[in-house]
Amino acid sequence: MEFIRKTNFIFGYFYYCSVLRGDLKMVKLTEEMKKALKVVGKGGTVVYLATASASGKPNIAGMRFIDTYKDEFILIADMFFLKTKMNLYENQYSAVAMVHPFKDREWVFRGEAFLFEIGLLKEDPNFEWHGIKAKEILEEWGNWAEKEPPEEVPPDVRPPVLKQRGVYCLHVKEVYSIKPGEVGKRIL
Amino acid sequence: MVKLTPRMKDWIEGLGCHICTASTKGMPTVTISRYAKVISDDEVAFALAKDEYAIIKPDLDENPWVAFSVSHLGVVKAPYQFKGVASIITSGPLYDQIAAEAKNLGIETSVVLLVKVREIYCTRPGPQAGWRLDTRPYEENLKLDEKWSPPKPPPRPQ
Repeated sequence: MEFIRKTNFIFGYFYYCSVLRGDLKMVKLTEEMKKALKVVGKGGTVVYLATASASGKPNIAGMRFIDTYKDEFILIADMFFLKTKMNLYENQYSAVAMVHPFKDREWVFRGEAFLFEIGLLKEDPNFEWHGIKAKEILEEWGNWAEKEPPEEVPPDVRPPVLKQRGVYCLHVKEVYSIKPGEVGKRIL
Repeated sequence: MVKLTPRMKDWIEGLGCHICTASTKGMPTVTISRYAKVISDDEVAFALAKDEYAIIKPDLDENPWVAFSVSHLGVVKAPYQFKGVASIITSGPLYDQIAAEAKNLGIETSVVLLVKVREIYCTRPGPQAGWRLDTRPYEENLKLDEKWSPPKPPPRPQ
């Protein structure tokens, strides 16, 4: 874990240097985006979470427990991650797309992702990634089904048991449109 | 051998799809396809407008793998993920047919993305999450068709 912490520190140093140089720009989600990514109780927000293996085999799966954090992070509960988890272990790049790309919500958020696994809370609560600590995330969102029970999910789809295994965290670096006629247009 | 069920076909064609590609370095890109047509048991043709194709072209130039899932309510009610290898069609009878049909939805087709489906996964939350459906007996998948509701997709949201 010490190695990971040191590696993280070194990576963070070069990352912020590159931000200062202007190679990478910090992206701040708008209030409209934050609101759209957090509509619980009215059918819930659902998104498609896209990842890829290190060799480039893509994966796309629907997700329901979503929130935003600190203007630039998108959080998703790891309830049933399988291929997504394997991809995140070997490749940090990831994207989150609105499933209902209408009503001016035609966005794809893309950046680097990390999976805060539940075990970090006991093992290394101060583990830090892009300036956020494991305990910040896991104490607040580590038991998401209890915090926000998925009551709006239809009974025939709702799983009998929800056992969370972690929290996916996307550090958004770009937002582009999937509005017909403007697909690919950079928004942030 | 991959064989799409009638329910899968109906939902793919009914609501369109989110399509994901990736560079060989692993950067995923998502685009949408508003018109999709299943042309055989394991092939799906997507009509892509110029902008919808432009964003995934760099990926497809170096990596033909794509993953797609049904848009809109399909994420909940049609919990399938399809993976396959894509080819680009810019002329010929199939292109003409798909482009003509897509035009009825107001889509100016730039290319037809033809995906040969090789893997199908279940993305339904719960014990079925992650099931590889294409390796199960086709008859078992038909039973899921009957079990999962609704059998047909709702009208496409405007």
